[in-house]
Amino acid sequence: MPVSSTRLPVRKAPEAAPSSRASGSKGAGRPGLGWAVPGLLFFTLFAIVPMIMVIVLSFTSWQGLGMPSFNGTENWSRLWNDPVMRQGITLSLLLTLFSWMVQTPIALLIGVWSAGRQRARAVLSAIFFLPLLASSVALGLLWKSLLDPNFGLIADIGPWIGFSDGNLLGSERGAFAAIVFVASWQFIPLHTLLYQGGARQIPKSLYDAAYVDGAGTVRQFFSITLPQLKNTIITSSVLMVVGALTFFDTVLILTEGGPGTSTAIVPYHMYNTGFEAFEMGYASAIATVLVIVATGVSLLLVRITGFGAMRSTREGM
Amino acid sequence: MTDVLHRPAPSGEGSGPGKSPVRVSSKSRRPLWRRWNIPAGFGALIWLVVIGAPLYALVASTLRTRDDYLEKGALSIPGEPTLENYNKVLESSFFQYLVNTAIVTVASAAIVIVLSVTIGYTVVRTRTRMSQRFFQVFLLGLAIPAQAVIIPVYLIITKLNLYDSLLGIILPVSAFSLPVCVLILSGTMRDIDEEMYESMALDGAGPARILWQLVVPLSRSGISTVGVYAALQAWNNFLFPLILTQSQETKVLTLGLYDFVGQFRVDIPALLAAVVLSIVPIFVVYLFARRQLVNGLMGVGGK
Amino acid sequence: MRTNLSRRRGRALAAFTAAIVTSTVLAGCGSGGPDEAGGGGEGTLDVWVYQDASTKVQEELVKRFNKQSDVKVKLTQVAGDSYQDKMRTAMGTPNAPDVFFNWGGGSIANFVEKDMLVDLTPEFEKDAELKKAFIPSVVDSGRVNDKIYGVPMRGMQPVLLFMNTDVFEKAGAEKPESWEDLLALVDTFKKEGVTPFALAGADGWPELMWVEYLLDRFGGAEVFKRIQDGDSSGWEDPAVMKTAETVEDLVDRGAFGKNFASVNYTEDGASTLFAKGKAAMHLMGSWEYSNQQANQPEFAKEALDYTTFPAVPGGKGDIKNVVGNPTNYWSINKKAEEQEAALEFVKFAAEDQYIEDLVANGDVPTTSDAESRLDKHANPEYAKFQYNLVKEAPDFTLSWDQALSAQQAEPTLTNIQKLFNGQLTAQQFVDAMKGL
Repeated sequence: MPVSSTRLPVRKAPEAAPSSRASGSKGAGRPGLGWAVPGLLFFTLFAIVPMIMVIVLSFTSWQGLGMPSFNGTENWSRLWNDPVMRQGITLSLLLTLFSWMVQTPIALLIGVWSAGRQRARAVLSAIFFLPLLASSVALGLLWKSLLDPNFGLIADIGPWIGFSDGNLLGSERGAFAAIVFVASWQFIPLHTLLYQGGARQIPKSLYDAAYVDGAGTVRQFFSITLPQLKNTIITSSVLMVVGALTFFDTVLILTEGGPGTSTAIVPYHMYNTGFEAFEMGYASAIATVLVIVATGVSLLLVRITGFGAMRSTREGM
Repeated sequence: MTDVLHRPAPSGEGSGPGKSPVRVSSKSRRPLWRRWNIPAGFGALIWLVVIGAPLYALVASTLRTRDDYLEKGALSIPGEPTLENYNKVLESSFFQYLVNTAIVTVASAAIVIVLSVTIGYTVVRTRTRMSQRFFQVFLLGLAIPAQAVIIPVYLIITKLNLYDSLLGIILPVSAFSLPVCVLILSGTMRDIDEEMYESMALDGAGPARILWQLVVPLSRSGISTVGVYAALQAWNNFLFPLILTQSQETKVLTLGLYDFVGQFRVDIPALLAAVVLSIVPIFVVYLFARRQLVNGLMGVGGK
Repeated sequence: MRTNLSRRRGRALAAFTAAIVTSTVLAGCGSGGPDEAGGGGEGTLDVWVYQDASTKVQEELVKRFNKQSDVKVKLTQVAGDSYQDKMRTAMGTPNAPDVFFNWGGGSIANFVEKDMLVDLTPEFEKDAELKKAFIPSVVDSGRVNDKIYGVPMRGMQPVLLFMNTDVFEKAGAEKPESWEDLLALVDTFKKEGVTPFALAGADGWPELMWVEYLLDRFGGAEVFKRIQDGDSSGWEDPAVMKTAETVEDLVDRGAFGKNFASVNYTEDGASTLFAKGKAAMHLMGSWEYSNQQANQPEFAKEALDYTTFPAVPGGKGDIKNVVGNPTNYWSINKKAEEQEAALEFVKFAAEDQYIEDLVANGDVPTTSDAESRLDKHANPEYAKFQYNLVKEAPDFTLSWDQALSAQQAEPTLTNIQKLFNGQLTAQQFVDAMKGL
């Protein structure tokens, strides 16, 4: 690699460095690009190449056996007219929206609250953390049994929340609400943790000053805590959005996309098409849409919020 | 260029310029409010019920017989507690699944740590356009959902003859953990003071020695974050094992749990006992290394 | 001092990492199973079977086979519901099974298309004993493109209407003989506060059973045969519309209760409801009997009764027709290295001891001599009822989700679920099915 070769002399002769401080400080001891090659190759093979392949496969007919054969834009015109896909996109966007709307306020409030050092808060936040320890599969199974209309928790509390016969997972809205709820139940602890971390780093002097000015708790929250947590909110939101767009495990276990296709969000529709109906060419077209949407949304968020700049000062170059 | 590269992260929360390269953490921790906040406390209690009731139902259900569960519902107190359900699970292949999961988790975390440290180091310290291109590749990777590329991954793993092997899970799982980890680590590594690099270089240290003696020790918080993140990703992964393995010998815990539905289909208490047992190992880690785990997860969200 | 410490830690970390990576790479390769390219490997046969209560009979079979054969069988059991998907996924890889359990028809159509299976037709012609061993219609229903690809290896599984006699007695109700009886029972049980029919609507296939029987009773077995043969105009048959409307009517009457869409079969929701007397009847495969026997033995013994699906008014179908799974089959992968051993193994399905074990396990085998053995069945009356039902049936329609290829079966199940949930009207259902 020509680029790294310019570094070679310096690396080979470090003893030459002291003689020229200025130039030495720029080049000495710097790693060559070779250091990143193993990781890059690895990442390319299992993430970049598949991403390109999925686009290629979207122009083929392949049932998972033998080799794919090209079939032009057939998958794409089919995709355009697929009502389940349209529904899936709507559902995915709604899931993203609702998860954000449910999770952010709760996680923010609990996170800020648990940032306090009182003993009670510490104990409670240790309990609040617990759902994070379980895998999506474990939680999916737990909630599936709790939501069983005849023998689960929902049979007892269903009547309170408008599902007198416990038919939550069997009704269109109920099943979707259940997905949003379970997703929130599972992920709020993570975001709580982020907000807790963020809130603890707000300088106390700001609150002291506000206290002197006579600001109450509520006003302190809105005029100090919230603005100070701006970056945490952005981080947490980006994670939520990307997480919701790629949500899958829980849907497979809890509803299998049902009733009918009422919870068949895009990733589930893709899985169902690819690994249950074995139309892998068509599933690749769905997957391509998923890649485009997820990438688009992430980039958009990065642009709007400057998320990338927080970590990478090179963003946009 | 130097300025851009080494500009401290413009966050209102973290370390500012001129501070010690190790991130300010414990020193700045001070209570926010010392007064009791009644509405907030009340809300927290409600949340305790929302979190606690299902967990209680989970544990309580596993302590009862199937008939007791079917008759009395999820919330009642088990009449005659029994550990029979746990026996059933432990008599199945549970331990084998656990071992497989442990192998996948440790291997994946190790791969991710090694690769993200070297990549992060290159990205932060190499002064060429190429290294920035590399970095952008990973930024892009951040947005690739693993679900979306599962079909080509299935094809690749099959062609590599890795279908139904643990390695076949480890590799893609690690690859998809990399972007976040590279971001976290390059962030951490940027906070290391330029002067420290310089003085090591003046001592005649090459890039390898600088990495081992300076970068790795000073990025310890970042590395443990990355380790926790990668380990959890591997531990909880379901989609890759679901698609890429089939036999009993390669079954990991998440997939084993999913298949217990078939095995214990009539026996919800036994199924839930398996759920509880799947949480126990991480719970033990949580008990002994709570701080590292929590800080690790906080680190995922940024500084 | 600080650097010293970290240096030591760094080295330890490096050594640790290296050790882990090496060991796991080795472990990863080692635990890959017997998967050198071509499956099976040296001198073994990889045999896949659907895991359920019958699996132990196949386990015994494998033990006996391995005793007398140089080529050893390795039996892989795949848990219930995911069998079809897992098998299908593995068939596209070098780890494909050598011999595998299937339902014939659409479940292997893709493989036949890609010429991946051994054609057993010549074997059946050559080997008179093999041919004689099984009920011909059962062998035939496993055919694809008129060729035999499977040897029957399990019991027959017709779909029956099960009844909880406790609930019937309490309501003073009688066994339904006609469609009118059935509708009257719906009202009777609703008044009693009992769900007339348990239905696991969270899974699509129990609902499919209703559609299969209704279409058969309305239009005869020919309608679905046309569809199965690839003539999608079969969906335009008026019987399909009648079927869809009848489903709507049943749902509207509350025949399945209100929360059936949340009830599942795989976690035994529907069967438990039925056994606990919260539902009066259950349309289900004949395995429901052994299922209840295993999980609610008292109920199975005291209060479980069964009957056939009644005729419908104006229906053209023969009331003796049956739907369900005629049986399951062993098929052989062309890539299997031990072809001879594989052939020998699938022929073991006609072995005396194996058939006896099946009967003892509660299955009703599909061998020609099965009838004489049924006295050894735990419930001879039930076994003979099934056997005669199947023997006398002019047509035995294979479950649609197995008869159709995966590409059609999935959307069919989804559309049926939507019909039951009221998300599709009868007309919309017919339109959607035509479009497949």
